[in-house]
Amino acid sequence: MIVIVCLDDKKGMMFNHRRQSRDQAVTDRIQKICAGKKLWMNAYSDKLYGSLEGMEMAINVDFLSLAEIGEFSLIESESLAPFAEKIEQIIVFWWNRTYPADIYLDLDLSQWERKERYEFPGASHEKITEERYERRK
Amino acid sequence: MKKTALHRYLLLCMAVFCLLFTSCGQAEHTNLAGTGEPPASVTETPQNEGTSKPEVITTESPSENGKEIISIEEIPAYSGQPYVEIDGNQPKFPEKDKTKESFEQYSELDSLGRCGVAYANVGKDLMPTGKRESIGKVKPSGWHTVKYDIVEGKYLYNRCHLIGFQLTAENANEKNLITGTRYMNTKGMLPFENVVADYVEETGNHVLYRATPIFEGKNLVAKGVQMEGYSVEDEGDGICFNVFVYNVQPGIWIDYATGESREDGGNSGGGKDGKKTPAPDAGSQTGQDGADAKTEAVEIRGNKKSKIYHCPGQASYEEMADSDHLVVFRSEKEAQVAGYRKAKR
Repeated sequence: MIVIVCLDDKKGMMFNHRRQSRDQAVTDRIQKICAGKKLWMNAYSDKLYGSLEGMEMAINVDFLSLAEIGEFSLIESESLAPFAEKIEQIIVFWWNRTYPADIYLDLDLSQWERKERYEFPGASHEKITEERYERRK
Repeated sequence: MKKTALHRYLLLCMAVFCLLFTSCGQAEHTNLAGTGEPPASVTETPQNEGTSKPEVITTESPSENGKEIISIEEIPAYSGQPYVEIDGNQPKFPEKDKTKESFEQYSELDSLGRCGVAYANVGKDLMPTGKRESIGKVKPSGWHTVKYDIVEGKYLYNRCHLIGFQLTAENANEKNLITGTRYMNTKGMLPFENVVADYVEETGNHVLYRATPIFEGKNLVAKGVQMEGYSVEDEGDGICFNVFVYNVQPGIWIDYATGESREDGGNSGGGKDGKKTPAPDAGSQTGQDGADAKTEAVEIRGNKKSKIYHCPGQASYEEMADSDHLVVFRSEKEAQVAGYRKAKR
């Protein structure tokens, strides 16, 4: 399973049951990354990302259990710690801003090896940083 | 939609009549500040001079728009988090304001020179199109220019916009600036401004946004700010919050009556009664390596080259802010888990 997640500077994901932010440039990037692949998400994410084209979309409340090797999972509110063992890669989009948060990514990224990192301008964000992490050998 | 000149004139007359011959504004203000001071009335804010913002005429006090002003007694004591949820995070905006028409309202300063409620329906048309200019000439109530080494950026107080510049482009407006700690400004208020600004930019929708400074008695410095937000077009699906942001600075004692302050030693927050309040919650979250260190550096600064971390107040803490080797941790424990050791000085 390859995880995709958007984070603020504190690793925050949501506040009061709502995503912290959004950016069309990230949506476009997710579409490109997942082209031709299977992308899992929950019903909340489906409202914003469900219209992505060029991939097999799968909506399920238990999608982290169902996602298989090589398949993508878009995380907005889920705890990843229980599924850490099945995660092959983590793709993080950093907003480079701080938002209110009450749900945070519960993985310690320092335990993962950063393989790629690059920055691009967002539609509403000055700079978005994309990083790809792999499990340390 | 712009109102006609006649309409504006009639509304203005009604507002003047209301303020002169009724006591409703006074009652609201007494609740707001708890002082019994004269009312913080609302004036029209000139908005179209040299800007592209729509002209908006308002005659009602923001505090009359269904606002139930909270009292400081209802707010839990600061416990290490820059803000706390109120009423289950549900704001209370009147239905009549949930429209697609942008507006902004600022209260007149009261007799003590204090700000009142700032209220807006933030749309893209209110957001800034030009550069921000200096606000240094404004001296909000309780203002002191004072520096401490343990405060990020040294200065204890910031001129805090009640409604952030990025939302309504109000800059050196004395009705929109209060004396706030660096901590409240950057850790408490800014994240909420950010989330609203992003949402409006990305969707083009409107967000009802209200910032209410809460003063205790005749204090010149607010104990904090109630912040409320609600996205209109999607009925709160995108934005919905109601929080109180604490006007504290960890390690600094503040006399809210005057704005006087002193270093309190240890990690206590300020309080008029001198009670020590907890240090910011260290949590367990680590952000992106080097992420925006200049605005998020209250926590622990590690040097990834030397594997040494520095705490606020330590010799090299400030220097690390600009280091290419900076890694920010939210706690000493987190730094230690990552293999770092504490600096000796």
